[in-house]
Amino acid sequence: MKHTAALLGCAVLATALAACGSPSADDGAVVIRVQGMPPATDKPGLAQFKTMVSDFERQNPGIKVQGSTTAFDPLTFSAKLAGGRAEEVIKVPLTEPQGLIARKQVQPLTGELGKWAHYKEFNPQVLQPLSDGSGQVYGVPQAPFAQGLVYNRELFTKAGLDPDKPPATWEDVRAAAKRIAEKTGKAGFVHESKSNQGGWQLTMLTYTHGGEIEKDSGGKYVAAFNAEPTKKALTLLKEMRWSDDSMGSNQLNDQNDVIKRFAAGEIGMYMGTPGTYRLAKMTYGMENTDAFGIGPLPQAGGKATLTGGDVFLVPKSVSKEKAAAAVKWLLFAYAQPAYDPAAAAERAKQLAADPESAVGVPTLPMFDAAQQAKIDEAVKPHVNVKLEHFAPWLEGTPALTLKPEPPVQAQQVYAVLDTVVQAVLTDEDADVDALLAKAETDVNAKLAAAQR
Amino acid sequence: MIRKNTLTALVFLVPALIVFGAFSWWPIVRGLLISFQSTNLVDPAEWVGPANFTALFTDPLLGVSIRNTLLFVGLALLIGFPAPLVLATVMATVRRAAGLYRFLVYLPVVIPPVVAILLWKWFYDPGHGLFNELFGLVGLGPFPWLDSPGSAMLSLVLQSTWAGMGGAVLIYLAAIVGIPSELYEAAQMDGASIRARIWHITLPQLRPVIGLLLLMQLITTMQVFTEPYVFTGGGPENATLTVLLLIFRYAFQDGAYGQAAALSLLLAIVLGILSAVYLRATRSWSAS
Repeated sequence: MKHTAALLGCAVLATALAACGSPSADDGAVVIRVQGMPPATDKPGLAQFKTMVSDFERQNPGIKVQGSTTAFDPLTFSAKLAGGRAEEVIKVPLTEPQGLIARKQVQPLTGELGKWAHYKEFNPQVLQPLSDGSGQVYGVPQAPFAQGLVYNRELFTKAGLDPDKPPATWEDVRAAAKRIAEKTGKAGFVHESKSNQGGWQLTMLTYTHGGEIEKDSGGKYVAAFNAEPTKKALTLLKEMRWSDDSMGSNQLNDQNDVIKRFAAGEIGMYMGTPGTYRLAKMTYGMENTDAFGIGPLPQAGGKATLTGGDVFLVPKSVSKEKAAAAVKWLLFAYAQPAYDPAAAAERAKQLAADPESAVGVPTLPMFDAAQQAKIDEAVKPHVNVKLEHFAPWLEGTPALTLKPEPPVQAQQVYAVLDTVVQAVLTDEDADVDALLAKAETDVNAKLAAAQR
Repeated sequence: MIRKNTLTALVFLVPALIVFGAFSWWPIVRGLLISFQSTNLVDPAEWVGPANFTALFTDPLLGVSIRNTLLFVGLALLIGFPAPLVLATVMATVRRAAGLYRFLVYLPVVIPPVVAILLWKWFYDPGHGLFNELFGLVGLGPFPWLDSPGSAMLSLVLQSTWAGMGGAVLIYLAAIVGIPSELYEAAQMDGASIRARIWHITLPQLRPVIGLLLLMQLITTMQVFTEPYVFTGGGPENATLTVLLLIFRYAFQDGAYGQAAALSLLLAIVLGILSAVYLRATRSWSAS
């Protein structure tokens, strides 16, 4: 009896361990697991995703799609990659692809993507952040964005500011933030400062001041931020924080903290994309969504902004056959509806059936402007967001140069710059010049090590 | 007969051995190997000799993280170590509603750590957090708490003391209850004051327990991670960047798995030494 029990235990364990393989269908179909399935809380999105899957499977017999609500998380991604269990399609924020490409953890898809009839018509600006130095493309964007200035229209009105005219320069931002803080007691403007997002936002600020984070120096990249534009950017933050007291009291924030507080009506302005509307509404339960407004990223001589949004990539561990199926899915699910007005209208109609959804949040053109105009026209009857509140962003962004993230070791550079931003926001006597000089030394050491 | 019993025992051990092997021992071996490799977890790993250790020792953040970890250990020792002892000594004298006090002291241990930390994050809010509001009532503050490199680490220690104290208090209480009451009665007859009784009876009697808890606390606090990760992300200005958080950053922000494994190995060696001391101490104390 004892023997039987022990053997039974071993057998159960062995079966459990053996089950940890790659999924395969009995009928010989190629099974791909894809991230990007909306969570159960997003009912309209989930229903649409399921329709998308069944349509795709009908059009592509031999491919089975298993949706996953898991979002990219570096922790689980490493573990899954090591165990050969990473999904065939992963959804990552635009801050990640360059690191994943540099570490060779994702695979180039140019060959498969090139088979699509409209591949050559992709807006090169949206593919650039997903490409390596040799021009290989690694993914498909979901909804490409340019960073802008998100603001609370209600707080603007309360502070006596015009909600239809968001600040166009950083001087305007400073004045508006001061006014919001004085009249409403809320934080006028909040700058992120942790989880590498302080460095990421400082990069945006630097671009708008006409600066760079890295520059090419004799074939190798070195730090370029120890210069006037970044100094001006940090001085602006310092004055807003300590002279004007318009940035609130809590300074250690990442993007989630900021959007959460914005959704609760606690923040006047932050740097973000139109896509953060969905987060504010659907993840953080923003009730008064009419208060959401967005303008182009304010400028101080740089006439530039940073790209943003989510993209889909295929891990390197995925077999060629599955990668080809994954590309078919990505084109069907995300590229086709951004190109074909009829497909776009159909998707928008499905989503709009539920009032909880957010239909028509504007994006950058995934193809050219003429194609985007056709799409916009087709989805117009189904749009349920207040498009006029996104109008300043739509009108102002085309005048700006879309700049990518720093080309080498962006995340490590951001980590160093996080500390600079934190120092400026938490220490009244922070010495901007000294902080930048030290950060330059640290970053150059990291860049040199990475380019050895 | 013995051989048959041994065989049966082995068969019963197999599942545990497989689970331990797969989920504890193999990862440990793998970590050791990775510390001498360069890997992206997809392609075959490349042997790089001591390169990961060289990279580690040239990173200025290594020194910062060691200093911060020692600061946390030191502050926890200073604040978090005596607090439960004092509390247990006081609670041992309480006769009425003793159960209620025990319940209240142990309650924080039951709250999930991240939930407790998020709650304290609100307490620490430099604007209208609970603490600043309370201090404001008596005309003190406002204090920056987590927002200043000077006070961030102390804030973490205060929270973790609150959160972790319950277990230690109960252990001390049990030990105090175990001290023979005749000792106190004799001392009382000799006219010993309360202070003298604590100093000459309670503390010496508790010595083995105090020693054990001290070592255990050293080992746990050296691995501090959740508090800085959730509270501050290592900021402000790396003031709360601990060794474990640095390992996390190497592995999951930079994808430098080799370097992360190298630092883990060094930490494991230090913890191994402490654990050896702990084992020796337990053995000698239980023998005495």
